[in-house]
Amino acid sequence: MTLTDLWVSFPLIVLVGGTLVLMIGVSIVRTHKLALGLTLLTLILSVAAHDIALENITTGYELFGLLNVSGIQVFFNVLFLLGAIVTALFAYPYFNERMERCEEFYILLLTATAGAMVVAAATHFASFILGLEILSISLYAMIAYPRESHQPLEAAAKYLVLSAVASSAILMGVALVYAASGTMAFAELNISPESGERSYFLLGQALICVGIAFKLSLVPFHMWTPDVYQGAPAVVTGYVATVSKGAVIALLINYVQATEVLSYTGVFYAVVFVAVASMIVGNLLALLQTNLKRLLAYSSIAHLGYLLIAVLVVNTARPELVLETVLLYVAAYFIITLAAFGIVNLTSEHATEDNEQMEAYTGLFWRNPLLASVLTAVALALAGIPLTVGFIAKFYVFAAGVEGTAWALVWALLIGSAIGVFYYLRLIYTMVKQVEPGAAALPQVGTQSVVAVTVLGLLIVVLGVYPTPMIDMIRTIVQASGF
Amino acid sequence: MLWLVPALPLLGSVVLLCTEGRLPKMVVAVVGSGSVGLAAICALYVGMNVVGTGEWQYTETLWTWMAVGDFNPSITLYLDGLALVMTGVITGVGFLIHLYATGYMWEEEGYSRFFAYMNLFVFAMLMLVLGDNLLTLFLGWEGVGLCSYLLIGFFHTDPANGYAARKAFVVTRVGDTLMALGLFLLFREIGTLEIQAALEGATATWPEGSGINTAICLLLLGGAVGKSAQVPLQTWLPDAMAGPTPVSALIHAATMVTAGVYLIARMQDMFLLPGPAMHWVAFVGLVTLFISAFTALVQTDIKRILAFSTMSQIGYMFLALGVGAWSAGIFHLMTHAFFKALLFLASGSVILALHHEQDIFKMGGLWNKLKIPFVSMLIGSLALAALPGTSGFFSKDAILLTAYNEASYGMLFWIGAVGAAFMTSLYTTRMILITFFGEVKTEPHDHSRINMWGPLLVLCALSIGGGWLGFMVLAPYMGDGGVAVEFHAELIALLTLGVPLLGVLIGYLIWGNHAISIDKFAASNLGERLRQFFFGGWGFDWTYDRVFVNPFVRLAQVNKSDFVDLMFTSIASLTTAIHLLVKQTQTGQLRWYATNMVVGLLVVVLIVIVQA
Repeated sequence: MTLTDLWVSFPLIVLVGGTLVLMIGVSIVRTHKLALGLTLLTLILSVAAHDIALENITTGYELFGLLNVSGIQVFFNVLFLLGAIVTALFAYPYFNERMERCEEFYILLLTATAGAMVVAAATHFASFILGLEILSISLYAMIAYPRESHQPLEAAAKYLVLSAVASSAILMGVALVYAASGTMAFAELNISPESGERSYFLLGQALICVGIAFKLSLVPFHMWTPDVYQGAPAVVTGYVATVSKGAVIALLINYVQATEVLSYTGVFYAVVFVAVASMIVGNLLALLQTNLKRLLAYSSIAHLGYLLIAVLVVNTARPELVLETVLLYVAAYFIITLAAFGIVNLTSEHATEDNEQMEAYTGLFWRNPLLASVLTAVALALAGIPLTVGFIAKFYVFAAGVEGTAWALVWALLIGSAIGVFYYLRLIYTMVKQVEPGAAALPQVGTQSVVAVTVLGLLIVVLGVYPTPMIDMIRTIVQASGF
Repeated sequence: MLWLVPALPLLGSVVLLCTEGRLPKMVVAVVGSGSVGLAAICALYVGMNVVGTGEWQYTETLWTWMAVGDFNPSITLYLDGLALVMTGVITGVGFLIHLYATGYMWEEEGYSRFFAYMNLFVFAMLMLVLGDNLLTLFLGWEGVGLCSYLLIGFFHTDPANGYAARKAFVVTRVGDTLMALGLFLLFREIGTLEIQAALEGATATWPEGSGINTAICLLLLGGAVGKSAQVPLQTWLPDAMAGPTPVSALIHAATMVTAGVYLIARMQDMFLLPGPAMHWVAFVGLVTLFISAFTALVQTDIKRILAFSTMSQIGYMFLALGVGAWSAGIFHLMTHAFFKALLFLASGSVILALHHEQDIFKMGGLWNKLKIPFVSMLIGSLALAALPGTSGFFSKDAILLTAYNEASYGMLFWIGAVGAAFMTSLYTTRMILITFFGEVKTEPHDHSRINMWGPLLVLCALSIGGGWLGFMVLAPYMGDGGVAVEFHAELIALLTLGVPLLGVLIGYLIWGNHAISIDKFAASNLGERLRQFFFGGWGFDWTYDRVFVNPFVRLAQVNKSDFVDLMFTSIASLTTAIHLLVKQTQTGQLRWYATNMVVGLLVVVLIVIVQA
């Protein structure tokens, strides 16, 4: 291990070190505030450490043959860390109100984030699976964290079992691919057309795709999503929806670029099938949904389907456009989704159950204009209406699809979006409706995280109206990473 | 700095809309008129700078929205001679009208709402003329249409005003649709909507002219005809007079209705390519100016007289564009903005003094009771009738002489235009004589203050001296070298000069000292028929009601259950049905989910194996 290795892995070291300090701290003195403070400090230091890491890499830096760190990974890592910071901020009032002994949650949050960072940088099956399991196991515990309640436990159990199925599919796939090609490093994975092991190899790739599709909650491996989204506490749902999916997307784009797995027609069409099914079925499932958390779950299925378009044109569109699209879409999706669950979380802080029924938001415009405005921005952004960051992201996907001449996918995007507008607007309509006399009052709204939610809501609009700085930044990152 | 010009009125509008009338009236007046006044000062400053560079073209990119591949939509302002003249008119005359309105609207409900709409209008109009892109132009184009709708129906408690507003909106929509089609076609053929690039592309692609180019020009002309109230889409303008008088002055005389003229002048390179487009423009103008001059002669409502006169004068501008007299057309646009705004505002003062009486036959003998409105009206009328020395004279004279020299239909254009010029001075004389002379029929109560008569005096000065402004400011900067100051001694030139004077003389003989009696003719069967025919605007409304409105209403009645909607409702019910179907899969049961995963896995493996 050289000194440069150390500097490049410094953010991860800081994060893991912080986790250890927090563990020791919690075992000595239980203070919720202190745990939150240590967590935030660790996360912020880790963000800062990326600056040091960036100084030591040019286009990319190979760590131990397992990880590759480039500007793109740094971008994803910072997103994960910011997502974790927002989650920690939301978690404090949420758990503080309803349970004792909340400190371990932050340990899990930090380990999950570390796992996500490993997955995003993985260039080898070993690091991929290791990172994925660190992430997933932390998530099971985070979902089940309010351990006295029935719903989180049920959600965690479902996620545990189904996730295990997906993980075993990936492991089996890796075994087959290894048997056929004799290597586990992404860059060396390929097989000659005449090779007798070609069928093992493709079968293995198919199984890996299935596992990844499950983690991204793509149709037909999506069924866990609404149940887990609904059962998990809103803060955790926001984290599952953003950081865990962002990590797998980062891995996926790495993987398809390094292995060129999509040049095998069979794999390509399998992914096309998954993408189209997600865009259409995801939106159809959301159509008349009355539970906001389930609605957002179905919406996320569709959105991951849209994002898959950018991944699928990796061989036909310019690689820099593909990467720009993926980075921009993930960033936009993070902002929008965190804002959405932030609002659910905010209105649930003082309640025993999450405020997740849409009718609870009836007339929100007349009762809490600020929250209603943010939620409107969220709905419009998810629908991809211009002047929100959601439109910019969707437009990028559209442009990538057109450049990659993936017409079937572009059509699915259009049809899916058209269906989607219906239920997003229905949400806005609910908020504008006049409150009927005698309706249940809006649960008391916490004040602590209002700032975070407002900032996220502003970002949705500001980056939609003036996205140039973000686009320029992403473009610089992509170019600096050698594309 | 140029961005401030549209930004200030927008800011004013936003402030007034957000405060929802909670501000004191005095503050509303200051914000409403001040924002446009400041914009005028900024426009002057930028204009001077641009003139100083001698470049005559200035672009300012405000904002690039996003850049995805080759697609990078931006909002860019473009200022050249043409845009500068328009900006000057919009902000300068606009400011005077706003100032006048602070007095005129003082007693009305919704004072703040009025100025919010007016400022919004000024913003939209400025985006229309300053946008370097046809898309920005079209946004401004639709924006002014919206404001026009809102302001025509400003006194919304009377359903008739709402009807007038809807009529204006729907009729101009016909033109807007044509224009949008023209833009689509242009984009398909040339691949850009950036004005300068599109013009260069068009001249490079179709140097010999082509059917496509003519089609695009005619579609754009369709948009221009709708907005500028030219035949056959002119029927909305007289009804638009239902709006408050300052609105008529600003939107329906000085600025918005001239947007069509601006559009054609802006796209002149395409119209100049070989093809019949120019003749169409000229004929549209000729027919309109002729028809509306006759209609104005028999109207009794002072604002409707002015409305038909506006149509007629814009007809002159179209004629000028159609014969290639670009500068003369824009020059007339400017002088017309001065004197027509003056006429409307002065008539507004008269109307206000007579407690909202608009019928000229109920006025009379007002000349020594309403001195400033009378003098203003007189000066405006002199310019409208194009008597020598006034601003209207210079611009109209230039148009008529260029029209005469047009190669193919020159004589026809000239005769029509001179005939209408005669009618113009005739109806103008009639309006002045009946309104201000003779016996007093209604006692006026004038209580206008400086904010109302101040603008009138400034506009008086511009109506007289505006012609010289044209030579000094406009002449060198227009594409075709500007308006030449020449004095022709030929018969044609003398006739052009003399016909308006003849009109005034005959007008005086009829309505002044009654030397010529038209009572007998008017009472005759033919005379009455003619009067009604002219009065109704040559039967256009009558025809449209029968050909379009009534059949459409009947169709709507037959189709009450909405046959077209069936398609959309069936899509909705289909998606709902599928939703209910797929929803069944979300059972919440782990065993079912796991089974589905395995099935999905098999499907994926199958696809991979089959395709491999």
